[in-house]
Amino acid sequence: MNTNLKISNVTKIYPGCVANDNVSLEFNSGKIYALLGENGAGKSTLVKILSGVIIPDEGNIYLNENNLKLNSPLDAKKNDIGMVFQHFNLFETLSVFENLIIDSDEERESLREKIDTIMKKYNFSIDLDIPVLNLSAGQKQKVEIIRCLIRSPKVLIMDEPTSVLTEQETSELFLSLKKFSEEGILIIYITHKLKEVMQLCDEVAVMRRGKLVSVSEIKNENIESLANKMVGQNLKTIKKKKAKASSDQLIKITNLNFTSEDPFETNLMDINFSVNRGECLGIAGISGNGQSELFQVLSGEIISEKKSIEFNNNYIGDLSPQERREYLMAFSPEDRLEQAAIPQMKIFENVALNNFKSSNFFNNGLINENKIKEHSKKIISDFNVNTDNIELKSQFLSGGNLQKLIIGRELITSPDLLICFNPTWGLDVGAINYIHETLIKINEQNKSIILISTDTDELLKLSDKISVIHKGKLSKIMNAEEVTSEKLGILMGGAN
Amino acid sequence: MIKIVKRDQPSRAIFFFTPVLAIFLTLVAGGLIFFILGFKPFEALKFFFIVPIADKYGFSELLLKATPLCLIAIGLSFCFKSNNWNIGAEGQLTFGAIVSGGVALLFYEQEGFYILPIVILAGAIGGMMYASIPAILKTYFNTNEILVSLMLVYVSKLILDYLVVGPWSNPEGFNFPETRQFSDSAKLPLLFEGLRIHAGIFLALAAVVISWFVFYKTYLGFQMKVSGFSLKTAKYAGYKGKKMIILVFLISGACAGLAGVGEITGPIGQLHREISPDYGFTAIIVAFLGRLHPVGIIFASLVVAITYLGAETAQIFMQIPKYTGQVFQGMILFFLLASDYLLFFKIKFIGSKK
Repeated sequence: MNTNLKISNVTKIYPGCVANDNVSLEFNSGKIYALLGENGAGKSTLVKILSGVIIPDEGNIYLNENNLKLNSPLDAKKNDIGMVFQHFNLFETLSVFENLIIDSDEERESLREKIDTIMKKYNFSIDLDIPVLNLSAGQKQKVEIIRCLIRSPKVLIMDEPTSVLTEQETSELFLSLKKFSEEGILIIYITHKLKEVMQLCDEVAVMRRGKLVSVSEIKNENIESLANKMVGQNLKTIKKKKAKASSDQLIKITNLNFTSEDPFETNLMDINFSVNRGECLGIAGISGNGQSELFQVLSGEIISEKKSIEFNNNYIGDLSPQERREYLMAFSPEDRLEQAAIPQMKIFENVALNNFKSSNFFNNGLINENKIKEHSKKIISDFNVNTDNIELKSQFLSGGNLQKLIIGRELITSPDLLICFNPTWGLDVGAINYIHETLIKINEQNKSIILISTDTDELLKLSDKISVIHKGKLSKIMNAEEVTSEKLGILMGGAN
Repeated sequence: MIKIVKRDQPSRAIFFFTPVLAIFLTLVAGGLIFFILGFKPFEALKFFFIVPIADKYGFSELLLKATPLCLIAIGLSFCFKSNNWNIGAEGQLTFGAIVSGGVALLFYEQEGFYILPIVILAGAIGGMMYASIPAILKTYFNTNEILVSLMLVYVSKLILDYLVVGPWSNPEGFNFPETRQFSDSAKLPLLFEGLRIHAGIFLALAAVVISWFVFYKTYLGFQMKVSGFSLKTAKYAGYKGKKMIILVFLISGACAGLAGVGEITGPIGQLHREISPDYGFTAIIVAFLGRLHPVGIIFASLVVAITYLGAETAQIFMQIPKYTGQVFQGMILFFLLASDYLLFFKIKFIGSKK
């Protein structure tokens, strides 16, 4: 029973961008296909078309020669196309079984039997009667997969499934996917992670700016060749020089605790670490383990005990972000659009958000627009922001350019310490490279960085020391050379 | 074929054009309504928009109505620009009037230059006090300021009702629901003999200038703007976001309170049940029609003020119900919101492909 899925001349145009430009692809069961591309390359649009969420402007989908009309996700389900989205569609407060029965037409008893068989067959162990909110990300994903398997799909599409998983959960997932493939389910795996493509897939289709760039077999490719196809240019690989051993301590965190009133926040427990000048401390972890709270405590958005943070021989735990900036700290938060910058405001107005006294943006309570504009122009040219109009609203900058602007804004005061949180999240490879180079340069100038990131590769590339945060606790601090991504994965999962 | 395409960047020209378009569409639709009702559309529109302001008296009346609208809308613009949806300006106006009226009654039968400033100040403080309720509830208890500020309007009107019927009613007033007339020292001076336009207009003009300066030129204004767009960003930049919210409510309350003072110490001269023909609500339309910009608000307040006058003239001369004034106000807001669609989308005419 072979499954053949054909995408023929699919085009989808959004205002201002062609998301899919005449894309044709063919898939056959028995193989695992990778759909590779940067953010915004059009791969998500393509799978949304396959799963009936989006209706294409032109083109057809054929499953075993039948022309499918996919007008809703329900149509896709009826036609045996299963889809696991990057963000889970589960009701947190309902039990696993309740979540599964919602969109099933089967009787309770027979459904339960069916789920049990599936779980036995693929070695899943999930308690069906506990609420979903008690599951780990990996388990939640399994619930989503079971939801698809109940309908015995011919095609299973996985959209960036590993972004929330630990290393261990990822390898478990890969084993299951391989098993599904052996049983004749056609697997389409969407990702921008090259390593995963090499590990898992048989064939790879690369998309760039809405167009299909290449289709090839994995055995003819390697990571560099795929990366170049994905980005469309030859990338130089950057390497960090080993830091000079410095023993000049810059910041020291002692017995720092934070207890939140918000049940959706993570409490921080007994955080201790220190960073020397010229060093980069990486903090790894799966998102939601206290990174955001740690960032806020370090930036002063959350005030803590005065003596818990010692910076440059001053106790600053009770100071506001603005006061901390005066001590030469700088901050680049995770959320570019909702926190680090205001998209509706002009570029130069966003620059004024980092109000450092000596930059004289505001004199006697009045705005000094000339000074701000002068400063903004300098940032734009020094940090390669791709525009020359500082009056432009920042919403019209791409993610990469906006991030360059933010990092530039923070660095132009030449701070002693930059604290950044997921600085390259969602950026294209070119911008990521630029940001990484900038961060390395800071270290070379004997300035320090605290890099909180969920991207293990980034951490290994940039850090001198690494620690892992899990449920609000930091692991012991390790030298980056002694750490492997496997080891980080184990610590991120909470084991010792 | 017509296709609607999203604009890459909202057009600046359209930003100022849509209010004009909205007014034009309101006139067209208004004419149509008059026609359906059996009036001659052009004649009716003439009675509505031209006759009332054709003479000196009419023009003074226009400024008289525009003054509170402008004042309140200026205050509201601080709230709206920072995403605080204070729609209870009518309540703040009423409460400001109550407090300043109370103070004015205290000085009953007294003379002195110091009385009027105290009365005016009392009105501003009253408005601020009343606006602080939704502000504090919003910042510390996460309540919705739309609901709270709206409901407080009715509370303030009932308080006023109680006062003018009960404790504050004029002992020589034959049980009419009104207070004594204020002394002349507690009244805003008239600007011209025989016209009702009073010194309150200077309060409005001062508010225009000050608000422009604060919002566009000062660090405080910048912080308000940032806090309005995103409290998270304000926190990150180190601003006191919650204080900003309370501050914009206080500004807005003070302006509404001053508008209340202007009414009772100006044309009315006492407190009674109906001190405001819903100026506080209509000012919301004015604020948006004026694009939340001080200069825009001046023009918008004049335009909307005509609808008040026009409704009266049209009723007198053509027996058109005066509630058409409210219909016109509603239409302006409706067409403004509708034409704002053009800010973000453009209509393209494409020849059909064959």
